[in-house]
Amino acid sequence: MLENIRYFFRRAIRNMQQWPLLCSAAILTMAVALATVATFFLVVVNVEQLAANWTREIQVIAYLEDAPTARELPGLFAKLENFPEVEKVKYISPSDAMARFKSRLADEASLLEGVDRNLLPASFELMLKAKFRNQDGIDRVIERLDNTINVEDLRYGQKWLERFNTFVGMLRFISLILGSFLIFAALFIVSNTIKLTLYARRDELEIMALVGATMRFIKIPFLLEGALQGLLGGVVSLGFLAISFHLLIKRSLTSFWLTPTDLNLLFMTPGQQLMLVIAGVMLGILGSLTSLRRFVRF
Amino acid sequence: MIQLFNVTKSYGGESAAVKDLTIQIPKGDFVYVTGASGAGKTTFLRMLYAAEKPTKGQILVNNQNITRIRSSQIPYLRRKIGVVFQDFKLLQSRTVYENVAFALEAQGKKRYEVSKKVYQALKEVGLEHRLQRKPLELSGGEQQRIAIARALVVDPLILLADEPSGNLDMEVTLDIMELFKKANARGTTVLLATHDHSLHQRFPRRVITLEKGKLITDQQSHHS
Ligand SMILES: Nc1ncnc2c1ncn2[C@@H]1O[C@H](COP(=O)(O)OP(=O)(O)OP(=O)(O)O)[C@@H](O)[C@H]1O
Ligand SMILES: [Mg+2]
Repeated sequence: MLENIRYFFRRAIRNMQQWPLLCSAAILTMAVALATVATFFLVVVNVEQLAANWTREIQVIAYLEDAPTARELPGLFAKLENFPEVEKVKYISPSDAMARFKSRLADEASLLEGVDRNLLPASFELMLKAKFRNQDGIDRVIERLDNTINVEDLRYGQKWLERFNTFVGMLRFISLILGSFLIFAALFIVSNTIKLTLYARRDELEIMALVGATMRFIKIPFLLEGALQGLLGGVVSLGFLAISFHLLIKRSLTSFWLTPTDLNLLFMTPGQQLMLVIAGVMLGILGSLTSLRRFVRF
Repeated sequence: MIQLFNVTKSYGGESAAVKDLTIQIPKGDFVYVTGASGAGKTTFLRMLYAAEKPTKGQILVNNQNITRIRSSQIPYLRRKIGVVFQDFKLLQSRTVYENVAFALEAQGKKRYEVSKKVYQALKEVGLEHRLQRKPLELSGGEQQRIAIARALVVDPLILLADEPSGNLDMEVTLDIMELFKKANARGTTVLLATHDHSLHQRFPRRVITLEKGKLITDQQSHHS
């Protein structure tokens, strides 16, 4: 068994050395395809992150007709906090509101002297849970609010956020389509590249079959070769991505339309990097399998 | 032991390549298969190592019916059969050693076992000093001897040779005949397809003659 494994590896590596051009073509094809797909993935992840940052600020503010009394307040508070969509509730009493207003007016604060300190309405600020930070969640919270308290006025997330979310959804969809298309294209090219190497070695395949090699024995070195090429392709694409990402970050620190703090760009997690390399291996194995089916027959 | 019962092979053309062939070849026999070009010699040999399936009839090799052999079983049949061709079918990119070792490696033999056997087989054909050469650096006769070493290194029960000396001159052909005779003397059944009648005059053995796919004569030699 160990003997066989050693033999398979020797064969696979020898084959690659024997056809360096074909071998590098296969590796590069896979690297380009994987890098492109991973780039799509990174764009989506980062735009999503940006969206998440922005939608974090989505909240519903309910201005109350009458400020609740100190006795009513805890009950109301508890009710609002019990809304399944709500993460956090903040109560702004009329005097809090006035204080805020004053601080915003700053120098002109004297204008407010003598004004009734209950002039501004009391309000509840409802922070929504992450998955309800969309139109649907807002609508639901508004409905619940209408059934719970006397709301004078409501203020909530701007329309453009909704549009932005639609955009993110579309981006994700397009990436998925383009990504799978690319993967198939890569598979096709890899399979054809391997077909070329098989064609170049058809004598060898014929003779192996002639001297009584089993199907498995004939195929495994080629599958292994595909896997090794996929592994290399994955590593190359990862290296390429890491370097480009690094350069992008460096550039964006000096000049970019977003400040570095906004632009907290995400790279792939170690797990995702591993996935990328594994995807390369799978791609190589699949590419070999599909072309072997055509070539090795008894 | 090779047995054919009413074997017909048709490639779909008008007439069959092999027609209603019934032949018994006992273990250890040495048989020439002759006939004009297109008589069906190659087809006959190819059916024996399951490269072709007969259209009709039954073929038994070593008491195993290979007529409806499953493709997963074919490798195990071929391990008992060495095959030699007119065009040698050596791997040009491999050394002489590797070419012969190929047959053993394909059967999953251990490495130390391989090197020992390869050396012996090459010594048998007188080429043990050419281990690291590539086939194209050798003469046609030497290449054919390597191909024979590859066929014999696995100690086959049967050796099939399809015009093995078709490209070689008489002197070299005689060398090669010696190798076949030696293998036969050790008990390997040998089937040798050839146009060359001089071979059978020099080494009289059983002769099977095909014509348009049919068996027309089957002469036992007085010498064997
Ligand atoms: N793969 C094939 N497909 C179709 N017809 C074939 C095939 N192989 C052989 N034939 C036909 O079968 C017949 C027998 O061919 P075969 O090769 O067995 O003859 P042969 O005796 O070996 O001839 P030669 O002495 O020229 O090698 C011929 O008419 C040939 O054209
Ligand atoms: Mg022939």
